[in-house]
Parts: sequence; C-alpha cells; structure tokens
Amino acid sequence: MYKSEKQTIFYVLGLYLSSTLLLIATLFATYYFYKQDELMHAEKEILKEYSSALEDKLLFVHENSDEKYEYPRFENFNSAIYDIDKNLIFSKLDAKIDNLDKDFFFKGSNSYYISSLKPHYLGAAYSVVEKKRKPIDILNDLIITALIIITITIITSFFLVKLVLRPLRDNLRLLDNFIKETTHELNTPITTILANIETLDSKNCDEKSMRKLQRIKTASTTISNLYQDLVYLLLNHQISSQNEELNLSEILNQRVHYFSQAANIKKLNLHVAVKENVFFNADRQKMERLIDNILSNAIKYTGKSTTIKVVLTQHALSISDEGKGMSQDEISTIFQRYRRFDKTQGGFGIGYSIIKSIIDEYGIKINIESELDKGTKVTLTW
Amino acid sequence: MVKIILLAVISLTFLNASSFEENCLNCHGNDFKFNMMMKKYTQKYSSEKRIKEAIFDYLKEPTSEKSVLPYEYINRFGTKEKTTLDDKTLREMIDVYYDRFNLRSKIY
Repeated sequence: MYKSEKQTIFYVLGLYLSSTLLLIATLFATYYFYKQDELMHAEKEILKEYSSALEDKLLFVHENSDEKYEYPRFENFNSAIYDIDKNLIFSKLDAKIDNLDKDFFFKGSNSYYISSLKPHYLGAAYSVVEKKRKPIDILNDLIITALIIITITIITSFFLVKLVLRPLRDNLRLLDNFIKETTHELNTPITTILANIETLDSKNCDEKSMRKLQRIKTASTTISNLYQDLVYLLLNHQISSQNEELNLSEILNQRVHYFSQAANIKKLNLHVAVKENVFFNADRQKMERLIDNILSNAIKYTGKSTTIKVVLTQHALSISDEGKGMSQDEISTIFQRYRRFDKTQGGFGIGYSIIKSIIDEYGIKINIESELDKGTKVTLTW
Repeated sequence: MVKIILLAVISLTFLNASSFEENCLNCHGNDFKFNMMMKKYTQKYSSEKRIKEAIFDYLKEPTSEKSVLPYEYINRFGTKEKTTLDDKTLREMIDVYYDRFNLRSKIY
C-alpha cells in the first residue's frame, strides 16, 4: 500500500468516523437527558402522591384531636411541615431543609418534594416529603451500548473506505505495473546503445560525426540514469541492501567521470577535490544512486560555462553549482515525490525522494544551502 | 441574681395567668371552646406571629369578615363586642392564650 493511499484512507476514515461519532454522541446524549428527565418526572410523581397522603393525614389529625396531636408517620417516606413564615413546625426528615422555594430536588441520596398547603392544618403552610432516591444508573448501560456501536461503526467504516477506494487503488496498481513493464522494456535498448557507442572506433569518425556521437552518448546516459532511478524506486521495497565497506573516493571519481560527458556539452568546469580512501559501509548501488542524483541535478540546473564543485572529505561530501537556486519554500518541499520546480528540464521529480530514502537508511545528514540566481550547495555529512 | 430573675419570671407568669383568668375567663368561663378557636386561627393563619396579630386585630375591631367562625354562627349570635383592654394588656393576654392552647407545642 502506498503512503499516499494510506494517508487518503486515514483522512477519509477520520472524517467519516468523526462525523459518525459526533452523530452517535449527540443521539446518546439526547437519549440520556430525555431518560433522566423521564425518571425524574416519575420520581416527582411518586413524591406528589406521598405529599397528598400526608395532607390527608394532617387534615385528619387536625380535625380529630384536641389535647395532643400525633404527627402522621409513614413507612415509605419521611416528612416535615413548616408554617407560612417558613418556621419549622415538626420534622421527621434526615436532613435540614433551608430552601422551600424549589418544589423538587435531590440532596444526598434522597429526593424531596415541597408543596404548599391551604388550609393550614396543624398550621402547616408547606409540607416536605423525603424518600430514598431511586438510582438513575442508565449511564453505564448507555456507555456500553455506545462502545459496542462505535466499535461496529469503526470496523464497518474501515471496510467501507477500502471498498470506496478500491477502484482508485486498482487504477494506481495498473499504472504502477505499466511503468514497471515499460521500464523493464527500456533496459535492453539503453544497454545496447551505450555498449555500442563505447565500442565505436572513434578514429574512423570525422569531427562532426564524433560530436553527434558524444551527444547520443550523453542523451543515453541521461536515459540510463532515469532508468536506474525508476528501477530503484519501483523495486526499492523488494530488494534488501547488500552493505559492504565501499571506497567512496573511487565511486565518486567514477560517477564524476560518468557525467563528465554531459558536463562537457554544457561547457561546465568540474572542480573535483576528493580525499583518497574514504570508506563508508553501504550498498554500492544505493551510494551510486545517491551521488548520481545530486550530481545530475547540479549539472541539469546549473547554467552553461559555470563551475561545479565536488568536494569529499573524511566525513562530508558537498556538491555545489552556480545555477538558478531555490527558495526556502521550495527547499522545504524538495523531498516530496514528483516535486519539480523547473518544468523546462527533463525528469520525473523523483531524485530527491530517492536521496531522502537512502540518507534516512544510512543515517546521513543532508544540508541544502541555496540562493536564488546564485546556486545550490548540497552537503552530506555522516 | 439568677434566683431573683427566676423569681421575677415565675411571679410575672403567675401574674399574667391570673390576669388571663380575670380578663378572659371571667366572661368566657371554662366552657368556652378555646381549643376550637385556636384550631380555627391556626388553620387560617398558620404562624404564631400571624395568629396573634389576627386575634389582636379582631378583638380591637370585631367584624364578621375578620371572624374565623362560620358565617351561620356569626349570623345567629353576631360578633363580640370590642375589647376594653388596653393594647399592652390585650397583647399579653393573647400571648398567654397562645402559650396555653397553641397546636405546635402539642404535636408529638
């Protein structure tokens, strides 16, 4: 699976899931508050009945007693009565009630209902009834249900996203296979052209034909380089690194020589300062890709008759040109695949993507210094 | 000092009590339904402050509207006459009446 494909799946999944989860959360919250309201209403209705029973008893006691008045007591609930100035007359409550303005409320583990009475039997203008609160424990059940639904949503949405993206993935795979096959088909003709040019007897050619031959050779080298890049990119995840102790100095000289023809055509001055016997443990092919890409970029983007400096020290390699340079914004996005700043030059924009993958593998640090119209200097340190 | 205050309070209570006999029971006698009247006042006015104020108000200026008794009763027997007691004595008598007959202290 490609990185971009993963990213798309991640974004679509994120968007889909967040909107779905938001919807689920809203539904559950609404349901929870509705249910809570319903339970509170039911609780209030029970307390209202108790309050009514208390009122009846108060009337009975008031009318039928003379010397002593027995305060009504109930098994299911406790109660208290207050006079019209809110002074306590008699109480069997567990808690002290300070505020008689709210008609229904919870306090501790009890629920309370306050009603005003008229006539004031036993002087009671307010009655307070208290009962053990019925626990409203729908939250736990709701959370479990929500978690189950969310899990199912996540699983189905993952398959849904994969299903939606399948045509896109199939097209990408088709394109990928096409590039792979095309690349493979390019190999033989390029090798043939390069091999035959090398074996051509230059003595039998006049100067004009010789120049034409050199141009063909340069063009073939460029194609070959592109071919190598494509092969590296397409097969990168399939081949493991064959690391060995490489003589970086030798490889660098070889690669400079390999590109010298292209440099000659642009009349470039190649200034090469290579320290002898610099060794580095890496895969030869990858090191060649790394050097080739930096070097070919320098040659490609520098102006005619300018100088390219290649400097190798014990722990650093720097290649600088006097080309048109890049802005800071361009440098920050340089490692993205297919990123090309100058469409007038050939290439696929995959050079720096390859460079990045190789330096990341070997822990090499890269520093790109560039100034517009002055040039670019790429330094690798390890 | 404490003894003196205690003695003063007790003698004042007895004094008030005997005043109650003189000022109230003299006319109403022991058969008067003090309990029933207190029930009526409590049922209508609820708190001690309001009950006392309502009794005071009625005794100063008795009218059928202010009475807690049923209309039929008032219609038949009429309202009582205005009190001849001064305000201070009247309030003291009402306090004694309330202390003796209030419902609140009899709830158990």
